[in-house]
Amino acid sequence: MPDMLRRREFLMGAGATAAWLASPAKADSASRPAENAGRSAYRQTWYPFSGHPDADTCWSLSVGPDGRIYAAACAESVPGGVVKVVRYNEQKDALDYLFAVDEMVDDPGDSGRATQCKIHYSFAPSVSDGLLYMATHLSGPPIDQPAYSPWLSWHDEKRCFRGSALLAFDTRTDEVRWWDTLIPKEGCRCLLHDEDRGLLYALSYPRDHFIIYDTKKRTRRDLGRIGSINSQALFLDRKHRVWTTDDYGHLVRYDPQSDRLERSPFVLPHESEYQTGWHSVFYDVAPSPDGECVYAVTWIAHPRLMRIWPHEGAWPRVEDLGPATQQRDLTIPISTFIDHCGGLTFAGDGQLYYVASRWRDPVHNSMPAARHEREGVVWRLDPATLQRAEVAVLQHPEQPAQYVSRGAVDHNGDLFFGNVGTRPVGVFKLSPPAERRKPDAHLPLRMWG
Amino acid sequence: MSEKKKQKYDMNSPQAKALIDEIVHGTFMKEGSMAAFPTCFPGVTVPIPADESRITALDISDTGMIYGGTSGRASHIFVAIFHGITGLVFDRGRIEGAEHCAAVCCGKKRFAACVNGPGGGRVVAGAFQSMPFDLIQEWGFDRPPLQDLGTVDGERIVHAVADSSRSAVVGTTANHLFTVDFEDGKIQVVGEVPGNGRLAVGSQGGIFGRDEGRHLWRYAAASRKIQRRVVELPDGAWDKVPLTWARDRQSGLLYTADANGTLFSMDEARGFSQPLGRTLLAPVGPMAVTHDGRVFGFCGPELAKMFCYHPGRHEVTNLGVAVSVLERRRYGYVFGDAVTGRDGQIIFGEDDNLGHLWLYFPRIERSA
Repeated sequence: MPDMLRRREFLMGAGATAAWLASPAKADSASRPAENAGRSAYRQTWYPFSGHPDADTCWSLSVGPDGRIYAAACAESVPGGVVKVVRYNEQKDALDYLFAVDEMVDDPGDSGRATQCKIHYSFAPSVSDGLLYMATHLSGPPIDQPAYSPWLSWHDEKRCFRGSALLAFDTRTDEVRWWDTLIPKEGCRCLLHDEDRGLLYALSYPRDHFIIYDTKKRTRRDLGRIGSINSQALFLDRKHRVWTTDDYGHLVRYDPQSDRLERSPFVLPHESEYQTGWHSVFYDVAPSPDGECVYAVTWIAHPRLMRIWPHEGAWPRVEDLGPATQQRDLTIPISTFIDHCGGLTFAGDGQLYYVASRWRDPVHNSMPAARHEREGVVWRLDPATLQRAEVAVLQHPEQPAQYVSRGAVDHNGDLFFGNVGTRPVGVFKLSPPAERRKPDAHLPLRMWG
Repeated sequence: MSEKKKQKYDMNSPQAKALIDEIVHGTFMKEGSMAAFPTCFPGVTVPIPADESRITALDISDTGMIYGGTSGRASHIFVAIFHGITGLVFDRGRIEGAEHCAAVCCGKKRFAACVNGPGGGRVVAGAFQSMPFDLIQEWGFDRPPLQDLGTVDGERIVHAVADSSRSAVVGTTANHLFTVDFEDGKIQVVGEVPGNGRLAVGSQGGIFGRDEGRHLWRYAAASRKIQRRVVELPDGAWDKVPLTWARDRQSGLLYTADANGTLFSMDEARGFSQPLGRTLLAPVGPMAVTHDGRVFGFCGPELAKMFCYHPGRHEVTNLGVAVSVLERRRYGYVFGDAVTGRDGQIIFGEDDNLGHLWLYFPRIERSA
C-alpha cells in the first residue's frame, strides 16, 4: 500500500493546498457514461471548501430542520486547525460559511490545547424550534505540535482538549443560541437527538462512554464505558431506545425504562472467512422513511450492509444485505479509507442511496487505466426487492473520491455527500432526475449524525 | 486570540514523523506487555455482563488461582486460572443483593468474599476450584454453591485481607474490625477501628489499617488484640485519599503512597522509610510487587498511567497508559485491585464496564 494511504496520512497532503485554492468554488459535471440505465441522469456538482483552506475532511453532513444541508469543514491535520460550519445556499448555488466553532465557544485554535477541529457525525436537528445541535470532536493537534494524543495529554491542563463543545444553532436566525461543554476532555464521536424527551445522546472519544445530555436542564449523565472502538453512529427507535454497537460487533442499546446499557448476544453480519465481528461497529445508519427499520453499514474492511428491525423480538431481526465493496487480497490489512461505505440516506424516490468505494485490483477489479485508481460509487437500493444499481461515480476534479462520510437529501430532493480525502475536500451534490425527486424529500428527518 | 501567541508547528520538519510516533505510540506501555483477558472462557462462555464486571477485588491462592470480585449493577465472584492447560475466568456466581465487592481473600481450602449491598456488608464463601481437565480438548464445569456467612455489623465493609496463616479473614467496616474464620465461617466483631482505606499484612504478620489522625492501627491475629495508633505515618499528604498498599511477598515489605503520589515502604519492625519517589500522577491506585522487588501500579484518575518503582535504582518511572494488543485489543483506564501472579506477573483488575483481568509481564531486566 502506498505510504500516503496509511491511516490518516491522506490528510498530510499539505503541499496540495496552494494548488487547490485556485480551483473554482464549484465544478459541474455529468456522471461518467453509464454502465447502468439512469446513471448519467444524475447531475453532479462539486463544492470544495474554498472558504476554509485548512479544511481537510468533511465528517458531518446533515439536513437541518429547515430542509437545508449543513456540513462541517474540518481541519484536523493542521496544527491549530478549527472547524467551520457551512450550509449549501441554493439561491447562490454555493456554500455559505456560517461560523468558526472555536470563536463561538471561546476556545481559540492557537490556545496550545488540542483544538475544536471537527464535528464528527454530530449534527442533530430539533424540529420544533428549528435548532440544529452540533458537538465537536478532537484529534487536531495544538498549534505547536504535529499530533495530539488524548491519552498522552489527558492530565495535562495546557494541552488537553477542553472538551466537546455542544452548540445549539438556530437555523431560523442563524445564531448560536447557547453552547455548553458536552463532554469534558473528550470528543463526541456521534450525536443523536430524542426530541420528544429533550435528550441528546453521544459517544465519547477516547473512552467510549455513553453520554446523555438533557437539553432543558443542560445536565450530563455518563452511563459508562462501552469499549475501545467508537461506533460511528447511534440510532433511535419508536420506544425511545438508543442503539449502537460494541467492539465485537454486538448491538448495544440503551433502554430508558431500565436505564441500562444492554448488549445483544448476537454478532452483526461480517465476513466470516477472515473476520470475527471485532471492529464491526456501525459506520453509518439511515432510518427507513416509515420508521420500521434502519439500514446500517459497518466500519471495517468489507463493510457489511444490513437492515435492522429494532421493534421485532427481544433483540432485533437483522438482515445481512452483503458486503458493500469488492473482493480483495486478504493478506493485506487494507485501509478503511480505501475499503469503505458511507453516506447512507433515503431520497425522494423512497430508495436508499449510499456511496461505496471501488478500487483497482490486479486480481479482483482491473479498472481501465483512464480511470482513477479509486472511486466512489453511488448506489441506489430498492428496499422492496433489495436490488441495487449503480447510479453515479463521484467526480472530484483533482483526485479519487472514494470516501464519503455522510449523505443527506435536502428539501428539494437533491442528494449531498461529504467528502474525505486529500485537500481539497468538500461536498458533492447529486441531482436526481425529475421522476426521482419530490418536495420535502428530507422528511422525516434523521435525528442523528 | 490567546494572550501569548504560539509558533505554528512546521509539519515539514524532519523531526515531525518521529515526534508523531512518540506522541501516538510512546503514550502506551513503555515496557513490558499487557494482555487483557475477558471474564469468561473465550469462545466457550459469555463474559460477566458489562455493567456487573467492574473488578474491585483480587487475591491469589497458594496454588496460583486468582479469585476476584466485581462491582456495578451486581457483584460476581470469579476464579481465574492461567497456568497449565487452562486459560479462563469462571464466574462462580452473582451475589443477590450485592453491588460491590470490597475484598476477596483466599484461605487454605476456600475463599471468602466481602460484598456490600443496600443492607450493608456480608461475607460469602466458596470452595476452591479444582483444576479442570485440558481446556484445549474437553472440559466440564459445575458451579459449586456459595455459602452466605452473614452480615457483620450492618455497615458496609471497607476492606479485608487474609491473615498471614490464611486461617482467617480480617476486615473493617465503617467503625469496626471483624474476623471471619475460614474453617467454621464464624464472623466476629473484634473491636472499634475507623474503616478508612485498605488493609495490609506486615512483615511480621501484623495487620495494619489507617487509624485516626496520622497513625496506623495494628491487629495481631494470634492474640486477637488491636493496638491503636501504633505507627505514625511519615510526613506527607494523608488526609485526602484512602490508604492503598502493595506487599512484597518475599520480604513482607509494604508499600503505600500519600495523596500526592509520594511512595513509602513500611517494614513492621523498622517502620516507614523516607520518601522513595513520586508517581507522575495521583492518587496512586492498585499496585503489586513482583518477585524481584519492583513495584508496578497505576496512578491518576479517569485515565490512569502505570508506574514502576525500582528499589535497586530508587526511581519511579512512568510506563504509560495500559493497552492490550495480545489477543484482546483494548485500552485500560481504571483499575480496582492488583495481585502478584504465580510467576511474578502482575494481575490487575479493571474497574470499568466490561472489566478484564490485565496480565502484565514486566520487562526482564538486562544483567549488569
